[in-house]
Amino acid sequence: METSQILDEIREVNLGYLLLAQHMLREDKVAAMYRLGINEDVADILDKLTTSQLMKMAGSNMLLCRFRFDDSLIAEILTSHKQDRALTQSHAAILMAGLPAEKIS
Amino acid sequence: MRVKSILSEGKEIQLATELVKLGARLQVLEASTKLSRERLVKLYKEVRGVSPPKGMLPYSEDWFMGWQSNMHASLFINIYNYLIQYTNIRDIDAVIKSYQLYLEHIEVNHLQRILSFTRAWTLVRFVESKVLSVTPCVKCNGHFLVHSLDIQSNHVCGLCHVPSRAGKTKQAALEAKAREQCECAA
Repeated sequence: METSQILDEIREVNLGYLLLAQHMLREDKVAAMYRLGINEDVADILDKLTTSQLMKMAGSNMLLCRFRFDDSLIAEILTSHKQDRALTQSHAAILMAGLPAEKIS
Repeated sequence: MRVKSILSEGKEIQLATELVKLGARLQVLEASTKLSRERLVKLYKEVRGVSPPKGMLPYSEDWFMGWQSNMHASLFINIYNYLIQYTNIRDIDAVIKSYQLYLEHIEVNHLQRILSFTRAWTLVRFVESKVLSVTPCVKCNGHFLVHSLDIQSNHVCGLCHVPSRAGKTKQAALEAKAREQCECAA
């Protein structure tokens, strides 16, 4: 893949992520904060972004969403072929809900 | 006690309706709204079409220690704790929201609804009164429900160490048999 193509795709993912996050937050803030794993400050910032701000943010050369799993969780999900899939999903959900939310320091 | 304001009464009725829809028992409604018992019974009948079940609520804290029930209850309490810690939703609203998120998980993964709303509500009260608490599993660091007075220095959760007969219920056996028959027929 060429660099320009990668950048294009990053922009698209960023835009999709921001739009989805904003939509979720406006529909049901509490559930969205749980699903996105963010705290109140981050939620407020995302919620208040105007369209032009959102476009500017999305046009970065870095991805705006981050990998949310820590090591034990990855191991859990990767071994899912051994056990029942619903079981590992539940385990992953318990671990994920127990992780601290993303915050602005 | 009579509710004076019509607006607040409207809100209470809305809350009670939501609770009934989620499967709350009458005692839960009585504890979380100020509406009179007669009105709640009427409301229950209107929403569900049947009289509310009588008798005591399930009150055993040991139920939450069973393998499957512990998994479901731990998931619920993790969601609940997350909401309490990071959002400004509280009390019965927090229980409702976390229960809805729990139901969503059940639906997505085609699991059985093990934890009823009334059990979830009881669970929150057990945790608040420190009968039950959460402790990290030494293997996966996930938080799981345990008796507060047990020794938990080396707790390994039921998901890291699955008991040999776990989940092998009559229901599961029946489903497996049905699947087999389907495959034979196809």
